[in-house]
Amino acid sequence: MALKDVKPTRSELINLKKKIKLSERGYNILKMKRDGLILEFFKVLETAKDSRGALGEKYERAAEMIAIANTFEGAIGVKAAAMSVQETPEIAVRQKNIMGVVVPEIEASRVKKDLHERGYGLLGTSSVIDETATAFEELVEEIIRTAEIETTMKRLLDEIESTKRRVNALEFKVIPELKEAGDFIKMRLDEMERDELVRLKKIKAKSAKAEA
Amino acid sequence: MAEVSTGPAPYIYVCTRMRVRKAKLLPREDYLRMLNMSLPEITRFIEETEYKSEIDELGASFRGIDLVEVALSWNLAKEYQKILEITPGALHQFTMSYLRQWDIQNVLTILRGKYQGVKAGRIKEILIPAGKLDRVMLDRLLAEESVERIADALRGRSLYPVLERELSAAMETGSFARMENELYKEFYRSIIADSKSGVKGGPVFLEYIRLEIDIRNVQNLFRLRMGRMDGDVRDMMIPGGSFSVDELQRIAGMENTDDVIDAFQKKAGFESISALLDTVREKRSIHEIEIELTRIMLGEMERLSKRYPVSICPILVYLEKKKFEVQNLRALARGKEANLSSERIGDYLVM
Repeated sequence: MALKDVKPTRSELINLKKKIKLSERGYNILKMKRDGLILEFFKVLETAKDSRGALGEKYERAAEMIAIANTFEGAIGVKAAAMSVQETPEIAVRQKNIMGVVVPEIEASRVKKDLHERGYGLLGTSSVIDETATAFEELVEEIIRTAEIETTMKRLLDEIESTKRRVNALEFKVIPELKEAGDFIKMRLDEMERDELVRLKKIKAKSAKAEA
Repeated sequence: MAEVSTGPAPYIYVCTRMRVRKAKLLPREDYLRMLNMSLPEITRFIEETEYKSEIDELGASFRGIDLVEVALSWNLAKEYQKILEITPGALHQFTMSYLRQWDIQNVLTILRGKYQGVKAGRIKEILIPAGKLDRVMLDRLLAEESVERIADALRGRSLYPVLERELSAAMETGSFARMENELYKEFYRSIIADSKSGVKGGPVFLEYIRLEIDIRNVQNLFRLRMGRMDGDVRDMMIPGGSFSVDELQRIAGMENTDDVIDAFQKKAGFESISALLDTVREKRSIHEIEIELTRIMLGEMERLSKRYPVSICPILVYLEKKKFEVQNLRALARGKEANLSSERIGDYLVM
């Protein structure tokens, strides 16, 4: 707010004081929200770290198993076993609320299957295919879990970022400017008061001189 | 002209040659050495063994892992065909019956490859014409345009009745699993029939086949248990072994692995391998159990071949051991190419 636009009036000062009070209250609430979101974020971060670690491990295991399966069953054998799978896992996305932030809650249909549900022949394959299928089913389950956690984390981060921007704007821009404008009005009012006083004194002196 | 009776000489000759060939197979120490080699070193090592001619022959067309893999497959197929050429009489008939399992593998590979739209050249690279269907026939099947036409081209062959019965359902569901199981069950049913047909040496052949069926059923039962299959397993078991499919179903329902092993060990007629099954108790993962059972099977087959030195057994033991040698070498080469650790590759080798 540019000071030249400020009208140095008492009513403006009262309005400004109200605005400062409101801004300070908003600032405190947003600061509390930011701190709350950060706490919540750190909680999710711990889970996300575990989940990322587990995802990495499961990915490595799946990559190793597919290499082993390709080694022992050949690429076509692996592809044939993979093509036997008819179902793709269904995902239902619901929403939940963390301190006003809408985050997803993902629920997947059963990814892990029993051996007979996988659709490949038992007599023409070996246990390497079973182990590979299990490794990939576990990987898909972990991907779904990680997707939920990381989306929650991303949404929380976005919200923390925007709350932080609002808090900073209030702390370093809005409130100081309002206070500066208030100080300016106060100073102008004092000045005007002093002007008035001097003027009155001058008038009084002039009239006393005239009477004398 | 009167027929000259040769007596048992050709049988003794073939069985002795099999023993000599078996002695030439790579020993455990060579695999251990290869585990520490790079892929080019493995290729060179293989080139210095029985696979030299194939490596030289294919060196101009293939490189690296493809060269190793194709050379191994060619060698295996050639070796099996050579054995078929030298085996006389009933031994030839039994060997031919036994090698029909390669036909199943090849036909299934072609059907699956075609169904998935894999190029004929790529499918051809992984075919091993070690069975009754030779390279010419396999090429003819590969040239067919559709899965149905491939099945039609096999009309009159032993595989056809199962293909005719199961193919439409397989195409409908997109899963060849049931057809695959049925083909293998039919294969075992037919070789059991061959062994009981009254041909001399049939009972020994039957004993060998029953051992193989038993071990495969035990392996599959462990796989099903690990795969949390608690329903009806009868459809996935091969009939004709020491255990009936109903007995296997009962065993499959048992709570823990030790009970399963106990049940196998208590079975009359299963004593020869029951003591060896104790080693399975210590194994944790399914592949460890599977490989241990394969080792047990090979050990038992070896024992049978010593008990019946002039029979089909020495031939079949060699065929199996040769198959595992090729499988091990392929696994070593592919495993090295995929940057798998030596320990990991070693876990899956049948040494």
